Amino acid sequence: MTAPTPSRTYDLSFARYVYDHIDGGQRLKLCMQCGACSGSCPIGTQMDHGPRKLFMMIRAGMKEAVLTSNTIWNCVSCYNCVVRCPRQVPITYILHDLSALAIEEGYAEAKKADNARFAKAFWWSATVFGRTDERLVTARYYFSSGLGEGIKKGMANQAIALAMVKTKRMHLGMPHKVKGVGELKAIVAKAAEIQARHGKEG
Amino acid sequence: MTRTLTYYPGCSSQASALHLDRSLRAILPVLGVELRDIEDWNCCGASVGHIEGGHLANAALSARNLANARAQGPEDVITPCAACYLNTHYVNESLRADAGLKADLNEALGAVGKSYDGSLHVRHVCEMLATDVGLEAIKAKVTKPLAGLKVAGYVGCQTVRPFADTERGNHFDRYDDPSFLDNFSRACGAEAVPFKRKTACCGGSISVMSPDKTLHLIKEILEEAKAAGADVISTPCPLCQTNVEMYQPMINQKFGTDFAIPVVFYSQLMAVAFGLDPIKDAALGMNIIKAPALAGR
Repeated sequence: MTAPTPSRTYDLSFARYVYDHIDGGQRLKLCMQCGACSGSCPIGTQMDHGPRKLFMMIRAGMKEAVLTSNTIWNCVSCYNCVVRCPRQVPITYILHDLSALAIEEGYAEAKKADNARFAKAFWWSATVFGRTDERLVTARYYFSSGLGEGIKKGMANQAIALAMVKTKRMHLGMPHKVKGVGELKAIVAKAAEIQARHGKEG
Repeated sequence: MTRTLTYYPGCSSQASALHLDRSLRAILPVLGVELRDIEDWNCCGASVGHIEGGHLANAALSARNLANARAQGPEDVITPCAACYLNTHYVNESLRADAGLKADLNEALGAVGKSYDGSLHVRHVCEMLATDVGLEAIKAKVTKPLAGLKVAGYVGCQTVRPFADTERGNHFDRYDDPSFLDNFSRACGAEAVPFKRKTACCGGSISVMSPDKTLHLIKEILEEAKAAGADVISTPCPLCQTNVEMYQPMINQKFGTDFAIPVVFYSQLMAVAFGLDPIKDAALGMNIIKAPALAGR
């Protein structure tokens, strides 16, 4: 554990917020800091903190450090940590919801994260068509950090795209779309409204 | 005996995992399982929907699918995709355990006059095959045993985690060392080679968006399969199949390796072993790295 320093900002209500508003957050109180999660993570070495440390930071109220951490953006969703945690903390889901919270609170780091930009493209397809159009999601994601970066990413993956076209595994033509897309949008909008209502109820 | 189940194919069934969908629709009727797709099914949100959409809106995607499935009848919902299974099963279980969530999701569904009572069972196709159909019934349909074919069974992570617990109280398979996939290979007459990385992660959607972070994970999977002498890698997961197959040239370039290992779905192995058409039914033409050891039978 690093010692508290005056340069860090603490928000002691943050731990309580996470316990009460993040799915599975209540179980965070049971975390015994064994580190099975960080040790089980396939790309834990590429995280600044890893789940174990991040959870202690939550308890310490280090809101800003938690929500600007790259740990919440590097989860591969393999659930290796979840099935190994001796205290049944649903780690993957907590990281998922923390990343959503970081976006909601408008952190610049959150907007820049690959995963956030990918998620934006993905959600667009899921709610506009009701289906994931792998081709359009990938293209939108590639170009989400600018034209130059988009062209660079496109070039780097050209061979893969061609192979997918050749094997008929890239859908060409109009995107597949659900018939009840208006209905889907209404359900999602209502759910977002309920979510916002719960947020205010605190 | 033929039974009809409700089927949730998932978005990958219309693009990157067309060969999974095609081969399943060929083998399941042979095994006495007829499929009825969820009417107008939508995306489940996969492993990123919550980030942009938020927790409840993401769960609402699955709620609509479940409501549509329930309106069709009480039959079990089966899905072949790891992410579709995780999300749909998770939302189904969560709303049963949490009256508040059930009320919230029904309020959202109520915006268009739909509802869901939580009464369905959501299952993975592999769990249904292993427990309902059974290995003996699979073996009984094999007309062209895959004799001499060495298969590395790569289960991937999500399929057996953490909801491998079936709703009927028993556990479908082990989290770290599942056996169903090797059993499927053996039932088809193939040899299941020892493969420790059977539940190692391929990087999932991180591999799609930032391959530099995860290519080494796929390399380790390929290395072990190669060392074990595997002719093919078999997997049940759409994203595992795509990631482990399509990145091989990029891995070769980055690490100076020379991988060209075919990655197929278990359902493609079964289609060939059942004597079905290798192109029309097993969809072997849709694999980027062709599997002559399989196609030439």
